[in-house]
Amino acid sequence: MSPETMLITSEEPNQENGILFVRINDILKTMVKRYLIVTGLIIMSVIIPLQISFSSSRSLELIIYSDGSTHVSTKIDVNSLQPDFELDLFGSSINNFVAIGDTGFMLSEKIVKNKAIIYTLGSSEITTDYDIQDLISKEGRVWTFTFNSPINYTLLLPKNSVIVGMNQLPNNMEQVDEQTKLDLNAGLTEINYIFTTTINSTQKPIISNDSLFNYVNLIIILGISSTAIVVLVIILKRKQQKLTSNTQTQFNIENITEKQSVNTEIIYDFKPEMREDDKEIIKFISNNKGQAFESELRKKFLLPRTTMWRAVKRLERLGLIEIVKKDLQNLVKLKKDMVEEK
Amino acid sequence: MKKIYLFLVLILISTIVSAGNANSIQAQSNPSILLKIVIHAQKQLESQINQDSSIKTKQLFKDGTQQIISLEESLNNNDTDLAKKQFLSIMKIFKETSKQLTNSQTSKVEISTIIIEDPLKDLDRLHDYVGDLKIINKKYNTTINFSEIDDLFLVAKKQIYEKQAVDALQTIMKLKQLTLELNGIIREHASKQQYIHAKEYAQKYLGELDLLIENAKNQNLSEVIIKKLIIVRENLSTATNADEIVKQIKEIISLKEQFELTKNAQIESKVILSKKIS
Repeated sequence: MSPETMLITSEEPNQENGILFVRINDILKTMVKRYLIVTGLIIMSVIIPLQISFSSSRSLELIIYSDGSTHVSTKIDVNSLQPDFELDLFGSSINNFVAIGDTGFMLSEKIVKNKAIIYTLGSSEITTDYDIQDLISKEGRVWTFTFNSPINYTLLLPKNSVIVGMNQLPNNMEQVDEQTKLDLNAGLTEINYIFTTTINSTQKPIISNDSLFNYVNLIIILGISSTAIVVLVIILKRKQQKLTSNTQTQFNIENITEKQSVNTEIIYDFKPEMREDDKEIIKFISNNKGQAFESELRKKFLLPRTTMWRAVKRLERLGLIEIVKKDLQNLVKLKKDMVEEK
Repeated sequence: MKKIYLFLVLILISTIVSAGNANSIQAQSNPSILLKIVIHAQKQLESQINQDSSIKTKQLFKDGTQQIISLEESLNNNDTDLAKKQFLSIMKIFKETSKQLTNSQTSKVEISTIIIEDPLKDLDRLHDYVGDLKIINKKYNTTINFSEIDDLFLVAKKQIYEKQAVDALQTIMKLKQLTLELNGIIREHASKQQYIHAKEYAQKYLGELDLLIENAKNQNLSEVIIKKLIIVRENLSTATNADEIVKQIKEIISLKEQFELTKNAQIESKVILSKKIS
């Protein structure tokens, strides 16, 4: 038996006892509705900027101490199916190496020259901290930081240091206590700095400032997104569809959840390794509808900028909070999944 | 209506594209930051230049200062490309000025020497490391008491504040010793915990290995691979430390890859054979 084969389009009637061949164009015309494409694009346009802003699979933070050593703190995604992970270190003179898995337990490591073999044993994310002597050299009074970074990173310079040379443009700069914090790009960076001597009192403090480009970019994206949403709403209203109401309900639920204060005891039980002072910070944020500016925290706990910054970074590493930029300030928010766990 | 849809789609596509480019846009520097950095450096160098400074140094500094004015102008004119070039040029000049101002007799100093010369600066680093150890320690619920080390930090800070350098040095040495001991104890706990964790992890692989051996037998795979799988299974179940467990799991992963390759080769040869027959 050989069945009759025919090529048909959607306009043509279906032939009985034959194999149905349908053109891709016809499938698209029949199955894919325009409003579905538009909705999909809207979702993508909202999600992509959010992903770029908040999610980072890897992070790298460097702190230069006044003795010329550098503290390296990095978060790395690893393959949980492999029992170990080989980490390239940024030098060979390593001290105080600590690797922590996603369960919060310390992981064993073997350091050979500038490589560390870490026994990850199922962890999908590890954080490593170590001090390194290889990134700074000194000539007379001028200290030079030389670093070839694989990714974008933040660098905290020592107290009372002044940059006198730089071969790369920073993305951002903040003054944290008496320390300069720079956001730098991947690639080779050389920064020369000296320690201040006599003009401390006359120096004007550098005010924290976010990149102008970030805001222009954000405004453009928000403007385009909101225009698109408004146009879509008008169209959808015309078609009397219920898509808007569903989305709105979803947003409302998220807002309500976010604004709820969290039972901090659950968080403490979840992260028993938390320091007592960090618990107080979490408690304050929780009572403050789950979010607070870093400056508010400093005022509340009477802590210097650096100490508070480190505490906040510590809590971020524990996965309890997230830091977002708002009105040129760091807004510290309890993580949504912590709220949901409640 | 079609035009509206088309307009909407174009807007959305441009949003997505611009969002995708957000990183590269953010990578550009904030012009006002550049000015702040150079002014900060200029003020610092100005305070260090005196009558004894060489003419060359003074000229370099003057050039740098002049370029700051040009930089400011470029920023006012929103000429960011030129401003970036000027920033890098000023930084180059100020770096050279700083080098000339500093004692030329001092050559590159090894960092290790610096630490020995001035261990008081080590305190911050040590404090942060002890902070990390405290966090890890809580996770293991050990009975380690950090009060002694905390007290020593307070003593060292007080001694530094009161400029008792020799005493402070001794306290810091004590602190280092104590930190080393505590680190050893915590690592011992961690090692025990890691072994338990490694055993659990190995258990997962043992189950998978049983299945793999059975499959290999059913598919009449090479006796050599089956034998290797059985040996690894035995070694893994009797492993007594994390090192051994990791070694055996890596062996399993490698064998598993071999197994898959052999299996695929067998399927391919069967297909070729059936084609030839037909």
